[in-house]
Amino acid sequence: MGPNNTRKPGEAIFALLLALLSLGALVKAYGISGFEGLSSPGAFPMAAAAVMLLSALVVTVNTLRASRDSDTEMFRDILPANAVMMAGLILLYAIALRPLGFLPTSLIFLFVSTLILAKRGVIFAAVVSVLSLAIIYIVFRLVFSVLMPEGVVPEREILAWIARLASGGAE
Amino acid sequence: MIDALQNLTIAWFDPSLLMLVALGTFAGIYVGAIPGLSVTMAVSILISFTFSWDVYEALSLMVGIYMGGVYGGSRTAILLNIPGAPSAIATALDGYPLAQKGLAGEAIGLSTTMSAVGGLLGILVLAFAAPAVSEFALTFQPRDYMLLAILGILLVGSLSGESLTKGIFAGALGLLIGTVGLDPLTAQERFTFGVVELWGGISFVAVMIGMFGVAEALIQLRELEMAAVKQTISRIVPRWSDVRKYLPLSLQTSAIGVLIGALPGTGGDIAALMAYDHAKRVTKDPDVPFGEGAKEGLVAPETANNAAIGGAFIPMITLGIPGDAVTAIIIGALFIHGLNPGPMLMIEKPDMFWFIVGALLLANVFMLIFGLTGIRIFTRIVEMPRAVLIPLILMLSIVGAFAVNNSITDVYWMLGFGILGYFMKLYGYQVGPVILGVILSRLIDENWRRAIISDQESLPRLFQGIVTSPLSLVLFIAVVLIFVSQTPLWAALMKPFRTKRTPPPDA
Repeated sequence: MGPNNTRKPGEAIFALLLALLSLGALVKAYGISGFEGLSSPGAFPMAAAAVMLLSALVVTVNTLRASRDSDTEMFRDILPANAVMMAGLILLYAIALRPLGFLPTSLIFLFVSTLILAKRGVIFAAVVSVLSLAIIYIVFRLVFSVLMPEGVVPEREILAWIARLASGGAE
Repeated sequence: MIDALQNLTIAWFDPSLLMLVALGTFAGIYVGAIPGLSVTMAVSILISFTFSWDVYEALSLMVGIYMGGVYGGSRTAILLNIPGAPSAIATALDGYPLAQKGLAGEAIGLSTTMSAVGGLLGILVLAFAAPAVSEFALTFQPRDYMLLAILGILLVGSLSGESLTKGIFAGALGLLIGTVGLDPLTAQERFTFGVVELWGGISFVAVMIGMFGVAEALIQLRELEMAAVKQTISRIVPRWSDVRKYLPLSLQTSAIGVLIGALPGTGGDIAALMAYDHAKRVTKDPDVPFGEGAKEGLVAPETANNAAIGGAFIPMITLGIPGDAVTAIIIGALFIHGLNPGPMLMIEKPDMFWFIVGALLLANVFMLIFGLTGIRIFTRIVEMPRAVLIPLILMLSIVGAFAVNNSITDVYWMLGFGILGYFMKLYGYQVGPVILGVILSRLIDENWRRAIISDQESLPRLFQGIVTSPLSLVLFIAVVLIFVSQTPLWAALMKPFRTKRTPPPDA
């Protein structure tokens, strides 16, 4: 138990940020109904925020007291290029999802990320991303019937066309 | 009784439900086995894809994944020395040495059979104990619910993390997240910042997918390259003599598994470690020393973690308090389907309970079937490179977060919690307590207010109520003990008794 003997880079700042977040939450929770009563709407949020603040402070103090861990480095272990890049890519993905639609956005996302992560060339990335998108599309869109933003691809028309074709072939 | 049997067998005779349980179990085995994919991740992403389904169908799939996933983690533990799930950590201790000796097939066969034995016992206990527990639970006071829920969060925080303080923080954060929105009793706004979209609160599916999907995937990115070890698979079906020999041990460890699983907040991972410890103590002279491929060391954790599944469903169904992160998510799924787990569920919808028991039994059978077949193909699939896997997980996380409410706001919440979860995991804060907190927030809030109102807003009276009721007192003492056990005072008191203990492995 207890304080770690070492701290990772950024750990103290993170703990401090959590403490600040907790303080903000406590102030905000007080704003709900103040010290009106033990059963007021704000009582439980205040208690939760107070516990957060208290534990965050203890963690901060323990972290600050710990010695710096010399084995971990900020940009290799805490924020490696891969993780930062992927975090950026998924953010872009989320932004583009609605205007562009599920199919093109996902294809680009899968292609780019596989290309960067696997380092096996364009063809590998293209094949893997098309294949996996096809499987996901079949499973989730067609079997689970999850509705995804259509965006620029007239998906419904294409599906209806395929369905017509299939039923036409059956007749 | 006839009704119960009828409901129990719904999934057995309905082809589509049967298929879904089979599919879930099959998928669970692979999800559990592929390092980097976890059952919690899979179940939380799947909630969003199944919310429009009928509740039976959704439950069939999830129960299958849960059962298969807990078992699947043992595969990679044996073959690669990489536990696919936290509950398989103890399995690797003796499973991998067995594989190194060329006995991988035998180890897998034995662990499969024993998992099924453990799973079956867990389900039987669930079937017989849950009705009794829920009857007992009707006598619970609001304060008991509150204490029990707090105890659950504390247990998750203290047993799985590196420090209880960080676990407490995580739990409180979850509780706070759960309070966002309109107060259920007075409709007063809480933490909404005047934004109408926040009236309904933060979607817990977004929190779950963020913390278990995105955060986990980002963490995995840090160790992209991992060589898979090729194993030769020999005999798979275990020797009857082995099964008979280890049956007594497996019964004991199953009991441990069910008990630990049934405690709110503790699940298969802890059960497996405790069972391993137990096996070490009761096996006087093993054929092979522990840690070098003792079959006892394989049987014990495998029976216990599967037995813990049945156990974990007990508090979930009867009290609405999840036994671990996966059951927390399944509770979330039940909420989405308009069901309210708790003692009233057993009274109002006993069919739901018996259906779950039936589906679990079925999943257990499928686990045995799939477990003893297809091992050779299996080793291929787990070699799937993470560079391909992780983009897929991230994409499914976004799609999943979007699909619940067709809302892009949920996606941003999910990403936000993903980033937060990444740093929390990195700096040793457990994310399990956050999810438990979110799920239990409302229960604690409401029961606290009921308790304190019925005691006329007086703390001393509440306290008097706690001390004079045996149940409340036990719960209260347990909560206090967990706190005290983590302070320097306790360490000083216990120093003379302390023997060297191995630190809990990272979950």
